[in-house]
Amino acid sequence: MELHEITIALSLLEGVQSTALEQGIDRVSAVHVRLGALSGVGRDALLFSWDVATAETIAEGSQLCIEEIPLIVFCEHCEGERAPPPGSGLLCPECGTPSPRIVRGREMLLVAMEVPA
Amino acid sequence: MRVVKIASNLMVKNDALAARLRDRFAQNRTLVVNILSSPGSGKTTLLEETLDRLAPKYSVGALVGDQATANDATRLARSGVPVHQITTAAECRLDAEMITQALAKWGEKRFDALFIENVGNLICPAEYDLGEDLRVVLFSVTEGEDKPLKYPLAFNTSNVALVTKIDIAEAVGYDRLLAQRNIQAVNPDVSILELSARTGAGMDEWIKLIDGLIGAKAFAATR
Repeated sequence: MELHEITIALSLLEGVQSTALEQGIDRVSAVHVRLGALSGVGRDALLFSWDVATAETIAEGSQLCIEEIPLIVFCEHCEGERAPPPGSGLLCPECGTPSPRIVRGREMLLVAMEVPA
Repeated sequence: MRVVKIASNLMVKNDALAARLRDRFAQNRTLVVNILSSPGSGKTTLLEETLDRLAPKYSVGALVGDQATANDATRLARSGVPVHQITTAAECRLDAEMITQALAKWGEKRFDALFIENVGNLICPAEYDLGEDLRVVLFSVTEGEDKPLKYPLAFNTSNVALVTKIDIAEAVGYDRLLAQRNIQAVNPDVSILELSARTGAGMDEWIKLIDGLIGAKAFAATR
């Protein structure tokens, strides 16, 4: 397993903790994140890393909800947004034109957290 | 239960630190080259040769990231230029904070060119801006021509793709056209150079590129 995910989990936790501190929150039950296809983050590895990273913190036992964002590129030839299938690089799936302008798929966003009543 | 919106990009902190590094490198007129590749593509061998060739003319330095051991730094230090090893342990890449800390150890030392050998990995390092001027991705002829398609972000964000170990291309059945097509499929604007640090083939062109960029950086800051 790459160690990428533990780093991501720790950055997420850091974001959660600083928001919690600002708002006087002492318990978090779920955390919502958005991850792009190109972020290279493995879902299972991140879920595992999250459990490890949050042990004995305000987010211990919290659920990590991952929304995966597929890769979308802008094809200059078709003049539109296209979704290349995984492993095909950044080629337009319709016309085959190299489309290096990445519209979506690089996201690594901490979106929200749920706090028990 | 209530929902608290956060909306923070995980890269914000690194990007801010990288911007600060970029300002500092501009002030110091230091060309910074961030080198990415899989393990075993020949980053250290390329750097050994590069430092050897540049050291007589310029003040050059190298930062080397590895998850464990200082072997690469030890190899590079033989060229006599300042080399600093960053052992990243759990981290699979270098980030702007690690670079900032490593530079602090050198104090006020100024370089014409600073080379950063990233951790051997094509996924994580692609996300982290280190304040570099030039991002170079290495890709050896033994790795399979579809590597750019498997790791599009590393190739998409690079300015130069260096095809290494070109001396053994024929023996391993390297398909040059296919590799070039795959590199261009993720980045049509990338410069592709082929070289062998071992035999020296293609090295002149690479050094000429770096030489020109060092000059451009020095000029840009003094205008």
